Amino acid sequence: MNKPSQKQSNHGRRSFLRSSSAVVALPFLESLGFRKHAAAAEPAVAPKRLVFLGMGFGVTRDTWFPNIKQTGSDYELSEGLQPLADHKQDLTVIQNLSNQFSTEAHWGSTFWLTGANRYAEPGQSFYNSVSADQVAAESLGRDTRFTSIQLGHKGPDKSGHGPGLSLAWNRQGKPIAALNTPVAAFHRLFSDDDTPLAERQAALRKKRSVLDTVLENARSVGRGLTQTDTDKLDEYFQSIREIEIRLAKEEDWLDVPKTRPQQSPKAPDEGLEGFEEVKVMYDLILAAMQVDASRVFTYRQPLDTFITSLGATITAHNMSHYSDGARKEVSQMRDKKQSELLARFIGKLKATPDVGDTTLFDNCTVTLGSNINSIHYLTNCPTVVTGGGTGIQHGRQLVMQDANTPLCNLWLSLLNASGVKTESHGDSTGQIDELFG
Amino acid sequence: MVVMKQIPHLLPLGLFFCQAIATLAEPPRSVIPPQHRAVLQEHCFDCHDSQSKEGGVDLQTLSFEISTVETAERWQKVLAVLNSGEMPPEDETQINSEQKTLLLDDLSAQIVVARDVLTDSAGVITMRRLNRREYENTVFDLVGVRIEAKDLPSDANSQGFDTSGGSLFFSSDQFEQYLALANQALEAAFVYGKKPGQKTIRRESESLINPRFSRLRTKLKKDFDRAAQWRATNGQQSPAEFGFIDESDVKFHERLHRQQYASYVRYLETPESKTGVLLNKLFNGAVVDTITIPGNWPDGEYVLRARVAALEGSQSKERFLEHGIVGDGARSGELKVIGCNQVTGSISEPQTLEIPITVKENRGFGLRQRQPNSRAATRAAFLQAQVKTGVGPPAALWIDWIEVTGPVLETWPPPSIGKIFFKGMWWKQPDEDTYAREIIQRFAERAFRIKSPSKSFLEKLFTLYAEAREDGVNFPTAIREPLAVIMASPGFLYQIEPAAVLAPESIEEQNRNALPPKELETQPTQSRIAESGEQRVQQSSKRSTEQSTEQSTEQSRELNDLELAVRLAYFLWSSPPDQTLYEIAKQGELKRPGTLTRQVNRMLDDPRADEFIARFSHQWLGMERLDFFQFDAKQFPEFDESVKQAARREVYATIRSMLDENRPLSDLLNPDYVVINDLMADYYGIEGVQGSDFQKVAIPQGSPRGGLLAMAAILAMGSDGTRSSPVERGAWVMRKILDNPPPPAPANVPQLSRLVGKLLSPREIQQAHMEEPQCAQCHRKIDPIGFGMQNFDAAGKWRDKITLQQTAGKRVIKKKAVQIDPHGQLPDGSPFENFLQLRDQIAVKNDQFARGFSEALIEYALGRPYGFSDEGLRERMISQAEKHDGSIREYIMALVQSKKFRTKK
Repeated sequence: MNKPSQKQSNHGRRSFLRSSSAVVALPFLESLGFRKHAAAAEPAVAPKRLVFLGMGFGVTRDTWFPNIKQTGSDYELSEGLQPLADHKQDLTVIQNLSNQFSTEAHWGSTFWLTGANRYAEPGQSFYNSVSADQVAAESLGRDTRFTSIQLGHKGPDKSGHGPGLSLAWNRQGKPIAALNTPVAAFHRLFSDDDTPLAERQAALRKKRSVLDTVLENARSVGRGLTQTDTDKLDEYFQSIREIEIRLAKEEDWLDVPKTRPQQSPKAPDEGLEGFEEVKVMYDLILAAMQVDASRVFTYRQPLDTFITSLGATITAHNMSHYSDGARKEVSQMRDKKQSELLARFIGKLKATPDVGDTTLFDNCTVTLGSNINSIHYLTNCPTVVTGGGTGIQHGRQLVMQDANTPLCNLWLSLLNASGVKTESHGDSTGQIDELFG
Repeated sequence: MVVMKQIPHLLPLGLFFCQAIATLAEPPRSVIPPQHRAVLQEHCFDCHDSQSKEGGVDLQTLSFEISTVETAERWQKVLAVLNSGEMPPEDETQINSEQKTLLLDDLSAQIVVARDVLTDSAGVITMRRLNRREYENTVFDLVGVRIEAKDLPSDANSQGFDTSGGSLFFSSDQFEQYLALANQALEAAFVYGKKPGQKTIRRESESLINPRFSRLRTKLKKDFDRAAQWRATNGQQSPAEFGFIDESDVKFHERLHRQQYASYVRYLETPESKTGVLLNKLFNGAVVDTITIPGNWPDGEYVLRARVAALEGSQSKERFLEHGIVGDGARSGELKVIGCNQVTGSISEPQTLEIPITVKENRGFGLRQRQPNSRAATRAAFLQAQVKTGVGPPAALWIDWIEVTGPVLETWPPPSIGKIFFKGMWWKQPDEDTYAREIIQRFAERAFRIKSPSKSFLEKLFTLYAEAREDGVNFPTAIREPLAVIMASPGFLYQIEPAAVLAPESIEEQNRNALPPKELETQPTQSRIAESGEQRVQQSSKRSTEQSTEQSTEQSRELNDLELAVRLAYFLWSSPPDQTLYEIAKQGELKRPGTLTRQVNRMLDDPRADEFIARFSHQWLGMERLDFFQFDAKQFPEFDESVKQAARREVYATIRSMLDENRPLSDLLNPDYVVINDLMADYYGIEGVQGSDFQKVAIPQGSPRGGLLAMAAILAMGSDGTRSSPVERGAWVMRKILDNPPPPAPANVPQLSRLVGKLLSPREIQQAHMEEPQCAQCHRKIDPIGFGMQNFDAAGKWRDKITLQQTAGKRVIKKKAVQIDPHGQLPDGSPFENFLQLRDQIAVKNDQFARGFSEALIEYALGRPYGFSDEGLRERMISQAEKHDGSIREYIMALVQSKKFRTKK
């Protein structure tokens, strides 16, 4: 156990932050001293952006996956992917990826971006590790107002996502909360506080005193706890630390008003549900990219309300156990609508100019998928990648030779190709070189 | 005398330790029965022996005892490829069905055991954050205001209970939410000034409804007459000349007239409509009589009164009046149902119902004749009757008037404010700053459940107040800041139980030194890329197994009285201790056996224990499933919102009644009584039950009710809202009653699809389940139990026949009613011919049920998963209860008296 230095009391909070988060927050700490770019000055090189769309329960097996025998550019889109036809040249379908430790047939998102083994830690019935988006955010998120944005849906999970608050898990393997309605997302991203700068500065100062105060209490209750409890209390410390970092960022950005794109999305309606909700969330991601509010996005999508909004009267769980007949029809309807929304999103990304002659599409990478293949199948996770940000040679179906290629190999490839130097992620065994030609 | 009394307590305690030691001497092992080696040898070793190791898989050296995460992982993969049919490869000899079934059965069962052993936390209790409902209750206790923390992340835990410390995470958004909620609660709590007077508002809605219906009647008539005039022209003139768009517009208005006109005429001609509102079903939804509380009346408790009567000739099942909230955007006839009352008054002698209501954001309240909460269903019921009678169903209920009186304030100012401003209002104090310090200190102590906050913490809190004052903020707003911060501090949010009790001086000392918390454990070095699958598996374990044993040796200590009081209160009340409990704890009396027993009894008798009963039962029995589906209102019109609520409460009320009367746990299996109210009695067809309060009623001859297995809530959970599911019901019985949970549904099992679209009875489908070993391994045990319960439909009503449907797409092309065949046998072979025999057979397994119940109780109370080291405790709970005829109360008593409950580990 380290002894405190004599100077501790002078900068209690800061030095505490440093000492207790040596490993965790280093990349963030750099950002504490980081001065933002002047908002108006566009970066000369377009930033890379990553979007992960988690769909919950898997797809309709025989109508979503393209024929596995047709590999390369010579493949036909399946029925479920048909709405993406206009963008066929700009997307890649990958087959034979999976998370080897998956055993939970109703957890489509918990380990999707982490590849962790739930049972990895003896004595614990649940373990998770950092998700790919959070690894990306550590570097891609430095220069933006929001290090990363997590989107989700309200209500308990009936959509086959499994434990978690969003698709994102932090370095400690703990769940990260999401903005669960379009309204909440809109306000976080685009609503400015009208109060004068001086008042907002004062408010920031007050927030810091508040954090200072609760840390005082956290430290004193933390004395003499068991190891397990100390670990638990560390979640509290970690959350305060994250707020600290956010405040530091907020301070950096205090005099920069939140910008909205010229064709700004309207404040969404409160009660938005189902596919309309997904559509608006996509629009918000797009708008956030336009003003470079963040470069890393995850979205844990609603499925239960999604199919209800399409006229189904069964639950998402029920749908996921389809067999030929009405339930399968719902599942297929869902596949198509999902592809249609993705196609619309791609269309908008392509139509939105970015730095220089590029469009947003050229600089981002969007992955849609789930840890669940279909029904209770957990191998061959459905995966569609699109966007030009990573130099993937699109227009192909890629069928991995090893039928159990780690999904984490894809995440590792996307991270590195987005400029996030990473040696391994989860249970990755290497990058998927075939992606790039 | 005292000593004498204690002896009986000491004796079983000694026994308990013996048992515990006996259990510990034989740690559970997960061993795959060795006879399966022959199968592996025959079918797998050709490729997967130590020499070939094809795909990097060597089964020859794979231990049949699963004692490490790595071995478990390898067997899990073996199970996976067998289940998916991937292995043995298609062109190789397949394992014969019977062998395969047995192998899969043993393998999946042993993997479950291994997972349980390997994830066993060795009794370590992880510090608990207040879960959402505990948080709400604790805030209420502290500031006297009920807030709804529904925006906090849900603490529902699919793996166990919402009290499980390890699963109660803390995310950064949460901190800000706590702060905001605390401010909201404090703002609501700070009420002073003049006591608001009580006001009454009354509404007699006929003065609005009658003119509206009269207008509708006239319009329908006028349109119909115009249509008739056009018809009289025999198509010679254009519909436009009569004010219609085209012919289909004419038809539309004719249809409206046919469907609706007569019912408005009847409504207005019914004499009771002159003096009140008839709660009819109409084409456009049900008539809802509403009242709105003016926006300038304060939030709080009010009383809603309504003078009501049941109309002559109405059916008894219709004579229920629902009350609820008319929310924004509620469509005509829809209501967020809060409760339901039977109406016994008649037109000559109406009754006045009094219903307490809470007025918050929602200010519109409505009363409605009970029905499915869906306009479509109401319309369907209306049209069905309309076809027969031409007028739709007659009203069963009549409302003379509704009134709301309030706010109801027992004391003024409310006690909540006195808890904070304990010396009275600040303006009466000589020195506001001194008072502020006192308020902060006192509040922090209460918030931290009688743990003294450190001086430096108090100083910082005071600074928050003082700075606000300097900025010109008034006293009540300034003092709110530090109080809200206290309510977002770990001392409030967590149940803190240090590993060792620190002397007060050492706490001060440490505060001065303000040690930083220990360094975070270094992240595991990102492992280098591994070559083979085998190696990847080896890396799957983050920590070595040795470390877990190290962890389990963490020292444990006895809780002090205050800590025990806190644990007890959150167990039985989901709230902090009350004054009485604190006083006893402060005097160091709580641990005396007699005192502890008396306190537990007092707490169980307190209405606050209702929350324990409800939330424990809800999670123990997996009742969240009841909310998974919208029940099809056309198919199950009687299973409406009111019945669903009542059905849920029946479970809780039954357990409450068992506690109150010291009944045995086995009463949940096969009792001779039910605990129901008027509505459930009507649903079950049991006569003579009055009032919306739940009461104990003897089961009449011939009724299949009685016990969990025959409760509507449990049966409805075993369906998908449309069809009953023998698999769900069977698995539920295995899990919750027989303490023999089937392994999790395996991944990657090929789905049966060749039977789709055929007209098959559920039995025939079950036969198909038995064909494939992957399915048979579990379904041969699960399904027969579920079929024994097939006489209950999806909504839990009795039936003798089941209707099969053959569909092509959405179209039903064939229907057939077949007699239900409920016979079958339990997993141990005990046969039954029908549901009643099944229930009798299950009731014999009371020991298994008692084990499952005890395990759940241990999990809920200790806030951690049930572990193997808890077996001794479980057995002691059962034996102590048995000494008291199996009394459900004694299980709780034994648990609270146990060493584990009184120890921090």
